[in-house]
Amino acid sequence: MIDWNLAVKIFFFGLGAVFSSLAILIAAIYTFGKILKSIERKTD
Amino acid sequence: MLDMVLTTGVVHLTIGNLIMWLIAFFFIYLAITKNYEPLLLVPIGFGILVVNLPLTFLMQEGEGLLWKFYHYGLEWEVIPPLIFLGLGALTDFGPMIANPKTLILGAGAQFGVYVAFFGALILGFKIPEACSIGIIGGADGPTTIYTTVHLAPHLLGATAVAAYSYMSLVPIIQPPIMRLLTTEKERKIKMRQLRPVSKKEKILFPLVTVVVICLIVPASAPLMAMFMLGNLFKECGVVKRLSDTAANELMNIVTILLGISVGATMSAEAFLKPQVIFVFIMGLVAFAFSTAAGILLAKFMNLFFKEKINPLIGSAGVSAVPMAARVSQIMGAKYDPKNFLLMHAMGPNVAGVIGTVVAAGVFLALAG
Repeated sequence: MIDWNLAVKIFFFGLGAVFSSLAILIAAIYTFGKILKSIERKTD
Repeated sequence: MLDMVLTTGVVHLTIGNLIMWLIAFFFIYLAITKNYEPLLLVPIGFGILVVNLPLTFLMQEGEGLLWKFYHYGLEWEVIPPLIFLGLGALTDFGPMIANPKTLILGAGAQFGVYVAFFGALILGFKIPEACSIGIIGGADGPTTIYTTVHLAPHLLGATAVAAYSYMSLVPIIQPPIMRLLTTEKERKIKMRQLRPVSKKEKILFPLVTVVVICLIVPASAPLMAMFMLGNLFKECGVVKRLSDTAANELMNIVTILLGISVGATMSAEAFLKPQVIFVFIMGLVAFAFSTAAGILLAKFMNLFFKEKINPLIGSAGVSAVPMAARVSQIMGAKYDPKNFLLMHAMGPNVAGVIGTVVAAGVFLALAG
């Protein structure tokens, strides 16, 4: 007997984790990129 | 005399053994003559051949040589993370850092994983088995093996061979789907040249990524940590010896052990079952849906972004590095020879690896 509740949970949690972790990474890349740029500007 | 004859393997041969020999020879043939994933199909094919020689007991628990490779290499979770160390040392995240939007395409291409997951459930597989089958859609061999060893070790031979077979067939599977889902105008979209990425950004990326991903999905840590460590070796520039070893000698050694261990799981009794055919069918479904989802997501993103994305790079969101990115480049160049999509496609391509590891981590956490 398949536990469809668990299957649906895996689907939503899985896809949610994939999109949210990659979205956070995008935000981190933009943020750190800006910080590094401003540091470089200051040192120049 | 009869006793002596009975000690030979010849009289113990079964039809199943002979069928597996044919499969082994077919894999070795594909590897040598067609160059399909030769680094894996040669040891896998050889592993299949020798494990189907009667009375060799190569996979006998606690005794057999190949059992020891399998047990300490795969069941102890050593080999797949070491492969990821090597992959990290070979991966350039520059194109992805230069255009972070492409990370979303890597996420979208995981959709096929869940289509195959539900497809496998409908076909009667249990949840852990369905997870192992679904992850084939991520087109990432080591992740498929890692997930299957944990959740459905009896399916290891089938899922590993399906994953590597479809990865080598990317140039055949993807183009018809790409043509079906895009217009000629879309295939000709030119993307702006990527900005140069500084060394500092490249060093920071593996450190930030390992923290973010492992905080969100801790079960993905063994693969993600080694992937990012390998990349840090490459980008930091002060441990060239370690980076070279991870990318070359170590990678080659673990590839041999991985291939022969996977092949050794494919004895006639374990492999010749109807459910193996379903694994291959659902693996193909997963692959096709992942490709389609990446393309459709790129088209969807074009509705909102001023700078258009060529949807052909969406298909590279399935991992299969760098084959899937090359297919995007070839398809793009076919419709406009001056259109260079390779570096743009490398973004979703490496993002797909991260996305697949996250998906696998969730499977392991919830179905393990």
